[in-house]
Amino acid sequence: MLKRALKRLWPGIFGFSGLLMLLVGSTLALSWAPPERHMGDVSRIFSIHVPVAQNALLVLLFAFCFAIASLWTGRRRWDAATTAAVEVGVVLTLLLLPTGMLWARPTWGVWWTWDVRLTTSLIGLILFATVLALRSFVEDEGRRATWTAVTTIVAFVDVPLIYFCVRWWRSLHQVQSSPETVDAMMVLPYRINAFGVLFLAIYLIALRSRLEMRRLAGEEVAPPPRLASSTAL
Amino acid sequence: MTLRTAGGILAQVLALAAKDLRLEWRNRSRIVAVVLFGVLVLLLFSLAVGPDSRALVEASGGFLVIALLLSTTLGLQESFRLEHADGALEGLRLLPASGAAIFYAKAISVALTLLLLGPVLAPVAMILYIGEVALGGLAQLIGLWLLAALGLAAPGVLYAGMTSRLRSQDVLLPLLLYPLEVPVLLSLVKAFGLVLRGDPMEQMGSWVTILLVFVGVYWLLCGILFEYVLEEGT
Amino acid sequence: MPAAAASARAEAREPTDAIWCEGVGRRFGRRWALAHVDLRVRTGETTVIVGANGSGKTTLLRILAALCHPSCGRIEVAGHHPVTQRTRVRRQVSLISHQSFLYGGLDAFETVALWTRLLEAQGEPPVGRQRIAELLDSVGLGHVAGVPVRDFSQGMRKRLSLLRAAIEPSRIVLLDEPFAALDPPGQQLISEWIGVFGRAGRTVVFASHALAAARQLATRAVVLQSGQVAWSGPAAAMPELGQLPALRAAEGR
Repeated sequence: MLKRALKRLWPGIFGFSGLLMLLVGSTLALSWAPPERHMGDVSRIFSIHVPVAQNALLVLLFAFCFAIASLWTGRRRWDAATTAAVEVGVVLTLLLLPTGMLWARPTWGVWWTWDVRLTTSLIGLILFATVLALRSFVEDEGRRATWTAVTTIVAFVDVPLIYFCVRWWRSLHQVQSSPETVDAMMVLPYRINAFGVLFLAIYLIALRSRLEMRRLAGEEVAPPPRLASSTAL
Repeated sequence: MTLRTAGGILAQVLALAAKDLRLEWRNRSRIVAVVLFGVLVLLLFSLAVGPDSRALVEASGGFLVIALLLSTTLGLQESFRLEHADGALEGLRLLPASGAAIFYAKAISVALTLLLLGPVLAPVAMILYIGEVALGGLAQLIGLWLLAALGLAAPGVLYAGMTSRLRSQDVLLPLLLYPLEVPVLLSLVKAFGLVLRGDPMEQMGSWVTILLVFVGVYWLLCGILFEYVLEEGT
Repeated sequence: MPAAAASARAEAREPTDAIWCEGVGRRFGRRWALAHVDLRVRTGETTVIVGANGSGKTTLLRILAALCHPSCGRIEVAGHHPVTQRTRVRRQVSLISHQSFLYGGLDAFETVALWTRLLEAQGEPPVGRQRIAELLDSVGLGHVAGVPVRDFSQGMRKRLSLLRAAIEPSRIVLLDEPFAALDPPGQQLISEWIGVFGRAGRTVVFASHALAAARQLATRAVVLQSGQVAWSGPAAAMPELGQLPALRAAEGR
């Protein structure tokens, strides 16, 4: 009884606690933490930008694992999970760009620059968005599942290559600061937000893959009734 | 996999690649059209940039790579049109030919066809953009072109094998393939630039490395995945 | 449909069966092209599948050839499952379809040579040029061995694809409307080949509209209607399609 309730409710629990953590973490980041020495208040955006970036990568790693499972087993459940994770990953990457721009404009003086992480995120975004686009073009369910998995795997393998390539191409983005060099009071809200985004992402993936399962089930129709045949075996 | 099945797959690759190359050769008027298309793209770029010869020299590597990419798309679509006409590819699966063998044979034949574009497109680009044919880094250019052909062929065959069955194949293949090829395109643009304008910082090594890694990873990965792409899915 | 009722309808499976299906169905989008198909073909038998256009004949043959996956049901072809063991099934099955499976750019000789080389790579004995020429002669294509398949007529393509079944070391031969698009000598040729396959101990399943030929060639017949088996029994007793009683829904009566 409890087990069944838990099975139904666990995404909601994740979603609620994720939202709560995001609220607490962001409030702390905006009011409690001191402004950064050189950048001032602008750097507060990091307490959301960095968690979103890390979780986007993590969610796409989930998508990669789900895609392998989908290809291996051929089960619809993994196909739904892959789609859900790719979608959430795309949304997180989409969030990444404006929060990064908000930081880039006052610091570098431009909204956009072709540096490593910006370029990699943008191309990654396009790559995974095309996975979703391809999906909408395929009618046959089996093929759709296979092709979603294949394109997800290929796209995920491409991301590190793009990263290194763009890094050699041009570099401007600041090296990521390790928590030790940042004020401890800035670290706490960031940590809370990191888990907040993760929990929220898990909630969304679970919700979205349930929805996809229902959509797939909605495509199915029961076979026609068996006809009475004059079988003479 | 035993040695015998590995040898069997190799024999299948050879038989199928011979078939693919024969078909490409019989269809050579089409290859000529693709080459002409590449030349046309090069010409259009020089018109788009205008008569500023310095800007043309700066961007020459990039234009050459884009022309190659656009021609690749056309070549891939044509190659798979032949496979699907009258279900020939399905017939191969029934024989049964191994999916990996079909992939590697196709990738080899596509790469060889792309290699043929080099001797035409590269000199044309040099004449149009720089004004002379520099033969200094010929060996390097050939090596880079080989890596480019290999890097474009493997993901190209995988994705063309998928999209060629869909009604919207013309737009889907570029949509899937171009973002994926970013590492190849960037490395090639940089490396071509280094060959044409000199390499004082000795950066060539890192670009060749990334090309080699890309080619290695994708020839392996796409070979494994192509088997799944061919099937209807479960 | 309770599982017990479904299995009660299907005949018991025996290890010597070439093809055995129970409750097989295939859905394309929202349409069931095939449903509740129970089918049993004994090794060495020649079976004809009769049905109107769109009755599911092609889908059934494609499922048996491991080209199309069933949406439901249990199935075994030559003792293997066509989805999970598709390579094994394909090794045991030859399919002659509406689509010729031929490359337009290759000529007849090159086409056969490609098949034999691919089969040789899988451990079959090599086939020499002389033998290929004889094979082409046997389907009446000896004089056009060097003509590209692109220039072949439908009937010539069908003759060439028939050679595939002759070359492949398969135990089951599936033919989809083999008599369509053929001239009378061509139809005669197909009838002869079906007989040859049968005498060689191979299991033959063919779909056809030509009822007279079907009765003559096949030992058993299956009539498909709207994707379901409407009648099955000895081919000689097969009713004319028009004489078949209108099918009624079994449930809701």
